[in-house]
Amino acid sequence: MAFTILDGGSFTSTGAGVKINLPSSADYVKLVNITQMAVASPTVCVASEWYGSKFGAGASAANGGIRWRKSGSSAILIDSFATTAASDGFTYVTSAPVVEAQNANAITAISDASPAVVSQTNTYADGDILRIYNTTGMLQYGGMLVQISSSSSSAYTLTGIRASGLTAGTAGFTRRVSKFSAVEPGFLYVTEITQAASAVVRFSVDPTSHYALGMKIRFSVPSSFGMIEINGLTGTVTAVSAANYTLTVDINSTAFTAFAFPLTTASPTAALFATIAPAGASTQYDPATGLYTGYNFSLQPFRTGEFTPYLYASGGANSPAGASLDEINWISYKLEV
Amino acid sequence: MSTGITNINNMSPELPLQFSEDLLSTPMFNLIHSFGCDMHYAEANIGKTTRMSRYERLSTNGGQLDGSGIDPAPEVVVRSDIDATMEIYAKTVVINEQITLYENDKVLTKFTALLGQWLREKEDLLMRDLYASSVSYINAVGGLNGQQPSEISRSDINNVERILLGNDARTMLEGIDAMDKFGTSPTRDSFIALASTDITTDLQSVQGVLLKNAYPSQEGLRPEEYCSVSRFRFFVSSKAAKIPGASQPSGQTVYTVPMYGLEAAAKIDQNNYSAILGYRPPYVVSSVAQNSQLYAKFAIARAITNQNWISGLNVTQRL
Repeated sequence: MAFTILDGGSFTSTGAGVKINLPSSADYVKLVNITQMAVASPTVCVASEWYGSKFGAGASAANGGIRWRKSGSSAILIDSFATTAASDGFTYVTSAPVVEAQNANAITAISDASPAVVSQTNTYADGDILRIYNTTGMLQYGGMLVQISSSSSSAYTLTGIRASGLTAGTAGFTRRVSKFSAVEPGFLYVTEITQAASAVVRFSVDPTSHYALGMKIRFSVPSSFGMIEINGLTGTVTAVSAANYTLTVDINSTAFTAFAFPLTTASPTAALFATIAPAGASTQYDPATGLYTGYNFSLQPFRTGEFTPYLYASGGANSPAGASLDEINWISYKLEV
Repeated sequence: MSTGITNINNMSPELPLQFSEDLLSTPMFNLIHSFGCDMHYAEANIGKTTRMSRYERLSTNGGQLDGSGIDPAPEVVVRSDIDATMEIYAKTVVINEQITLYENDKVLTKFTALLGQWLREKEDLLMRDLYASSVSYINAVGGLNGQQPSEISRSDINNVERILLGNDARTMLEGIDAMDKFGTSPTRDSFIALASTDITTDLQSVQGVLLKNAYPSQEGLRPEEYCSVSRFRFFVSSKAAKIPGASQPSGQTVYTVPMYGLEAAAKIDQNNYSAILGYRPPYVVSSVAQNSQLYAKFAIARAITNQNWISGLNVTQRL
C-alpha cells in the first residue's frame, strides 16, 4: 500500500524542541533543515526521519530516529541520533502529561541560591518543564515540576525556586515532561508567598502560560509551609509577571504567618506541596482602565492541555528541530489508502 | 504490512464458532471517573465555551441595626464563572469486505459494540485527566514506607475529610444502615474517592477499613467499589491516574486519589452530539466498494466546578 502524505508545514527554529500534532497519527515523518542543507560544510543535522511502530523492528526508538548530517564537508553522513555526536531525536507521544524525549538525567548540584541553579550535563532548552526527583539534599523539592531558563549544556536556572537558606542539593534526577498538563488550567506548585496587602505568589513554572488576570485560584497550603491562614482561600489574580513567575492576588496576607518551605531534614514527614488550583473567574469591567477580566477564553476554560498524538522533535544543531533561526520543513506520511 | 484497514490479513477468519459458547468477553476497565460528577448540557449553536456560574454566599459578619437609622453597608455580590471548552473525539474502524464475507461472526455488530465501549472508556479517561490535572493534591505522610508521599493511611484520609467538611462539602452517598448480620458494619453517608487498583493492598491495611463485603447490604453497590474508610467510599480502576517515578527518595510511582463531594466536577454534553455511532457504506469509502467504515464520535466539556469540595491525596505503594 502506498504512502499517503497526511500533512506538512514549516517552522523557524528557536533552538528548542517542537511539537508536531498528528491527529491521524503517522507512520513516517521527515524533517529537512533547509537552512543548513544549503550550507556547504556545517557540522549539524540537515535532515531527519522517524519511523512508526508499523515498521516493527525498524521503528524508531523513543528519542531516536535516522539523522542525515554533515560533518565539516558537503558529504552527507547517515546515522541515528543515538550514535556519533549523540543528540536528542524524536519521541512519539500519545498521552499527556508524559515524559517526552529523554531518559532520566543525573543532576550534580542544586545551588542554595535564589533563584536556584542546577548543574547538569543536558540538552534542555529554555522554557522546558522538568520533574525533579530522587534529590539528595534539597529533599523538599523532590517530585516537583520546574521550568528552566538561562540554560547551557552544563547548567540552567530555576527562576521559580528560591533556595537561599536551604540545604543545597548534591544529586538527583530530572526528566522532561509536557509543557502543559492533560487538562488546563492545571494545578501549580507554589514556591513563595509574600506578606503583603495583595499577596504575590511565586510558582515553580511560569504561571502566565496558564493563568490570566481575573482568574480565581484556590490555595492548598499544608501547615508545614507556614502560611496556614491562606490555606483554603480563593483569590482573584490582579497582576501577572512572566519574568518572575508570579501572580498577584487580592488576598491581604500582611498578618499571615510567613511562608517557608519545610527544611530538607523534615522530609519525608512534612506534608508537601503548597499548590493552587483553578477556581473559575471573576467577570469584571473597570471603567477607569477600560479593562475587562473574566473573558480570557484562551486560558480560562477547562480544556485539553496537550493535543495528542504528537511527535516531539528535539531542538539543537544536531537534532531534528535545528538551531535558532534554522528553517525547517516537515512532512508526515501514513501507510494507508 | 498493516494498513489501518481491518482485513483478512490482520484479522484472519475464525474457525466456525458457536456464538453463545465460544465468543469471549472483551476486557473493559472500571469506569469510575464520571461517577459522581454533575451532568450539564450545552445547547446547540451557543458557541464552543460553556459557562457555569455560582453566586457566592453573603458574609454573615455584622448586620445588626443600632437604631440610629443608619443602613448597613451593602455587600457586593460575588459570582464565580466556570468555563469549559467543548471538544469532540472520534474513533473509526475500516473493514474490508472479505472480513464480512468470510467471518462467521457478525463483525459489524461486534465492531459497533467495540466502538460503543470506546466511547465510554475514552470519556472516563478524559474525566480522569481532569481530576489529575486541575485539583490540588496533598502528599500522604501518615504511612510507613519512608517515601514522600507515603502509602495511604487513616490520618491522611481524615485530613482530607477535615478539609472537605471545613469547606461545607456535601456527601455524595447515603449511609448504609446496620443489620443483624455477623461481620458487617454500617457505613456513614460518604464522599467519593477514586483510586488505582495498584493500591488496593494498602487500602486493606488502612486502620478502620470496611471492605465492601462487610457492608450490611450489597444491594445497589457498584462492582467498581472496593471499600469504605471513614467518610469515604473508594472506587478503583486499573486506569486511575498515576505519575511514574516521582516519589522521594526512591522514585516510586505516585498515585493520585481524588476525593470529593457533591457538585465538585461537571461533565457537559453537547446536545444532539453526545454519542454518535455511524456507518459509511463501501461505495462511499472505497472506489471499488470493498471497504466500509464504522465510526463513533462524541462531544464533551469538563470542569472542576468547586475546588472547595474536592481534594485528594498523592500516595505510593507499600505492600
